[in-house]
Amino acid sequence: MDIKLIQAQIEDELAGVSSLQRLEAVRIKYLGRKGVLAELTSLIGTLAPEERGPFGKEVNALKSNLLGLINEKEKTFSIQNTVSNKGVLDIGLPGISSELGRSHPIIQIIDEICSIFSRMGFSVVEGPEIETEHNNFTGLNIPLDHPSRDAFDTFYLKDYPKLLLRSHTSPVQVRVMKAHKPPLAIVVPGRVYRPDAVDASHLFMFHQIEGFLVDEQIRFSDLKGILELFIKSVFGQDIKMRFRPHFFPFTEPSAEVDISCIICKGKGCSVCGRKGWLEILGSGMIHPNVFKQVGYSPDKYTGFAFGMGVERIAMLKYGINDIRLFFENDLRFLQQF
Amino acid sequence: MKVTYSWLKDFVDIKLPPKELAEKLTMAGLEVVSIEKREGDFVFEIEITSNRPDWLSVLGVAREISSLAGLKLKQAKPQESRIKSVAQGLVKISIADKKDCPFYSATIIRDVKVKPSPGWLKKRLESLGCRSVNNIVDITNYILFELGQPLHAFDLDKLGQQFIYVRRAREGESIITIDGEQKILDHEILVIADKNKPVAIAGVMGGKETEVGFETSNILLESAVFNPILVRRSKQRLGLQSESAYRFERGVDPEVARRAPLFALDLMRELALGKPCAYKSMGAVKSTKPAIRLRVSYVARVLGINVPVSKIKQILIGLGFAVRSQKKDTLLIEAPSFRQDIKSPIDIVEEIARIYGYEKIPLSLPAIKPVLNTAGSKNNASVIRGILCGLGLQEVITYSLVDRMLLVKAGINPGIEPVEILNPLSKEQEVLRSTLLPSLMRTLAYNLNQQQDYISIFEIANVFSNQVGSVQHTPQEELSLGIALCGVKSFFIKQGLIKDEVSLLHLKGILESMFNKLGVKNYNLNTQDNQINIVIEEQRIGFILGLSEKTLTSFDIKNKQVVLAEVSLGKLFRHINLNKRFYGIPKYPAITRDISFVIKDEVSVKDLLIAIMEKGSVLLSLAKVVDYYQGKQIPEGFRGLTISCIYRAADRTLTEEEVAPLHNAIYALLEERFGVKLR
Repeated sequence: MDIKLIQAQIEDELAGVSSLQRLEAVRIKYLGRKGVLAELTSLIGTLAPEERGPFGKEVNALKSNLLGLINEKEKTFSIQNTVSNKGVLDIGLPGISSELGRSHPIIQIIDEICSIFSRMGFSVVEGPEIETEHNNFTGLNIPLDHPSRDAFDTFYLKDYPKLLLRSHTSPVQVRVMKAHKPPLAIVVPGRVYRPDAVDASHLFMFHQIEGFLVDEQIRFSDLKGILELFIKSVFGQDIKMRFRPHFFPFTEPSAEVDISCIICKGKGCSVCGRKGWLEILGSGMIHPNVFKQVGYSPDKYTGFAFGMGVERIAMLKYGINDIRLFFENDLRFLQQF
Repeated sequence: MKVTYSWLKDFVDIKLPPKELAEKLTMAGLEVVSIEKREGDFVFEIEITSNRPDWLSVLGVAREISSLAGLKLKQAKPQESRIKSVAQGLVKISIADKKDCPFYSATIIRDVKVKPSPGWLKKRLESLGCRSVNNIVDITNYILFELGQPLHAFDLDKLGQQFIYVRRAREGESIITIDGEQKILDHEILVIADKNKPVAIAGVMGGKETEVGFETSNILLESAVFNPILVRRSKQRLGLQSESAYRFERGVDPEVARRAPLFALDLMRELALGKPCAYKSMGAVKSTKPAIRLRVSYVARVLGINVPVSKIKQILIGLGFAVRSQKKDTLLIEAPSFRQDIKSPIDIVEEIARIYGYEKIPLSLPAIKPVLNTAGSKNNASVIRGILCGLGLQEVITYSLVDRMLLVKAGINPGIEPVEILNPLSKEQEVLRSTLLPSLMRTLAYNLNQQQDYISIFEIANVFSNQVGSVQHTPQEELSLGIALCGVKSFFIKQGLIKDEVSLLHLKGILESMFNKLGVKNYNLNTQDNQINIVIEEQRIGFILGLSEKTLTSFDIKNKQVVLAEVSLGKLFRHINLNKRFYGIPKYPAITRDISFVIKDEVSVKDLLIAIMEKGSVLLSLAKVVDYYQGKQIPEGFRGLTISCIYRAADRTLTEEEVAPLHNAIYALLEERFGVKLR
C-alpha cells in the first residue's frame, strides 16, 4: 500500500471539492468508519512486527495530514464555524413557531379586488347596511311599484317603515354622489341582504363590490377597458370576456359581463352550464335619472358603474361548490386560504 | 319565458340553426338560458328583462330576430279588420277611473261549441308549459303567448245583467278565482264586476263563477289595458301569479290590445264555430308618443365610438322606429307603439349599442383623477385584521341576522332591544344582532364538534341597536370587533409539547398588542361583576369575559374554557394614533435588578408597578413582571412574583452606588405599603 500515492490522491480529490457536502463525502471516504484509513489501520496487524511501527507512524501522519487538509479546506467555505446543529439531531421533528391566523377568504377577495382598483386610482368607501328605501331603490331609478324590483327582494325593518337592509351596495353611489362632486372613482365593498331561500348557491346575506367612475368624459369604451384590466388581474391574462346587453334600472346601456369558463376554458362543462361562459358582473353607464336624483347635470357628466358578488368570484376562483361554507366557518375550510 | 323554434318560424324565415339563433339572441339581450329538444321542435327558455315587455311573446321575439337578421316579419292579418260595434244593448261597459284602465274592449261571441282543443293547439301550448283546458280558454292563452296580449273569456250568460264594470273592489268583497281559492278583496285591488259582484281580478285572474266550461255557449271576450302598478299590487296583495299579470304589470302594447280579439275571433270561428256578433270598447288607445330628439354626438359621448348616422338610422328603422333628420347633428325619433320603454335619448343610445354590437365598441382607459380622501375605517379595520391574524387568530364571518333566542341563550347584553326584521323568511333572520359574541360562541361550538381542540377566532362586523328615546329614532349601526378563544393550545418548545389553556390573560395580551400597535394609550381594564371593562378616558369601549358553566352548557360546550372580548371599533378608532415619533436609542447601558417576593392575592400587580415606577423616579426606566408563581411553596392566598427593575440614565453609565439606594427604597416600599415578603 503506497501511502504516498494515497496522499497524492487525497490532495487531488480535495482540490476538486467545491462544497461542504462534497468535503464531507471525502472525509467519510478516508476517515469514516469503513474509510481508507480505517482499512490501512486494520492492515497493521497483518504486517511483520518490525514493519508495524513505521507503517503505523506513516498512517498516523497521513491521518493528521488529512485532518489538516480537510480543516484547511473547510475554512475556505465561508459558513464554516458558523454552522452547528445546536443540539437538534433530527430536523424531521416538528418545527417550532406560532401558527399564523388568516383573514376570511371573502375578505381576502375583497382586499384583492379593492387593491386592484386602488392601484388604478379608485378610492374605497363603505356605507351603512341599514338603508333608506330612497337610496336603495328610488334614487337608483328603481320605481317602488315596478317589476324591476323583483330582482331585489328586500328585508325591511319592523319599527322603521322606510328603512331596510340594503339589498345591494349601489345605495352608496347615491350617498357618495350626494356628498361629493365629480370626478369620482370609487369602489364599495360590503355586506348585502336579500330574503332568499338558502341553498348551495343562495344565502340571505352575502357580499358585493360596487365600483363607479363619474367625470365629464367617461364612455362605455372606458367601462370595457377598466373591467378588462380588472378581470385579467383577478383571473389571469388568458381569460376571455364578453359584454352582453342586459337591463339594470340604474344603468343604461347596461351589460352583463361573462368570462370564459375557468374550469373548461370555454368548451362547456357543468360549472358553466355547457355554455362556456360564466356570468361574473353587472355593469353599465350610470342612468341620467340617477344623476338627476343627486343633482348632477346629465349633460355635463357621464359615468359607469359595475357590481359583482364576492362569494361568486371566490367560488369560481377557488372551486368552491357550496356558498354556505363561507359562513359555516369550519376551521378546516377557512384554513385552506 | 318560453318560445318554440317552429312557432318563431311562423313569423320569420329563420335560416340559423337553433344553437346559433340562441347565441344571437343572447348577445342582443334576450338571454337564452336553455334549449330543450321536444317532439321535433326546440323550446327556448329566454330570460326577458323587466324593461322589455314587448319581448314577452312569440311575435316580440320574432320581431327582434327580424331586425337582428334583416329578415322580413311575416304578420298575418285577421279575416276582418274590425267587428261592428253595437252602440247599445247587449253589453254595458263602465270604467270607474280611466287611470286604472285606459282601455277596455268586450267582444260578444255567440253559439260557441266548447270542446277540447285540436292536437296542434294543445301541442303548442304544452310545449310552453301551459296546460290545455278547452278550445276557448286555449285560444285566449294562444293569443297571449303569440301576441303578448292577455285575453279573458267570460261565460256571458253568467254575467249578471251582462254588465261590465271596471272598478276598485269594495272592502270586504271576495271572489273565488279559477284556481278555486277564495280571495278577500280591498280597495287597492282593481276588479271586473258585473252588476252585483266582482267576476275577475283585473289583469290577474278570472273568477270561478263566470269561467268558460263545456256547457258555455255565449262568451264575452275581454281585451284591455290595465294600470301596471295596480295589477302588480293586486297580484302581490293576493299572492297570485299568472301569465296575464306578468305581462300587464310590465305594460302591454295598446295597439295589440285593440287587435288581439280579431285574431282570437278567427280561431274561435275555426275551432268553436263561434259567431261574433257585437263589439264594444271604452277608452282611447293612445299609441303615439312625443318624438325624441337625439344628438348624434351624444351617442359617441356615451359609447366612445362614432357610429355613422346612416348606421344609426338603419338600426333604428330596423327596430321599427321612425327617424327623421333634423339639423346636422340631430335626429327626431318616434318609437313604435310596442316600445313603451323608450322615453329618453339614453334609451335610444342603448338600442344603437345593442344592435351595433357591444363587442364592436373598443376598449379604452379613462383618465382617473385620484381623490385621496379615502376610507379611514376600512384601513383601520385592515390594520386590526393584520394584527390579529399575525397573533394567530382566524377571521370568521357570521350572519348579521340571528335568531332572537341565540342572543338570550348567550346571555350577553340583555339591556339592548335588538332591531327586528319585518319580513324574515325564518327564525334565523328575526333580528339584527346587537353583539357579535353569540355568533362567535356558536362558531366555537360548531368547530368543537368537528374535534378541534383549540379555536381562536375574531370577526369585524357591524352591530345594530335600537336607540330608544332618541329624537330621530333611527337604529344605530356600529363597527364592532369580537374575539373568542377556546380550549387548549398545544405547541412545541425545544423540550417538547406545551399545553396552554386559554384564559382572560390571553385575551388581555391580544388586546394589549393591538392597542400598542394602534397607538392607543390610556386604556384601563376595570373589573366589574366578573366582567372586565375596557375603558378609555372614562368611556367603556368594550369588555372581556369568561363564559360561565351555565352558558357553556347551553352551547353544548363541555370541558373547555371560553373567553371572549368585544370592542366597539367606532369608539376605539377615535383613540387610534398612528403618528410615530422617534425617541433616541439609549446610549448608555442599563442596570437590571430583580426582586422576588411573596404577595397577597388581592394586591393588584398594576398598582404595585405604578408605585414602584413612582418610587424609582427618573432613573427607573421600566419595572415589569418577569415571573409569577402560585403553588406548593407559596402559602394559600399568596403568590410569588418576580419584578425586574431596569435603571438607566440618558447621559451616563450608572454605577452600583447610584442604583443601590433607589433599589433599597423600592424594597422598603414593597414591604411597608404592600406587605410583601421577600424570598
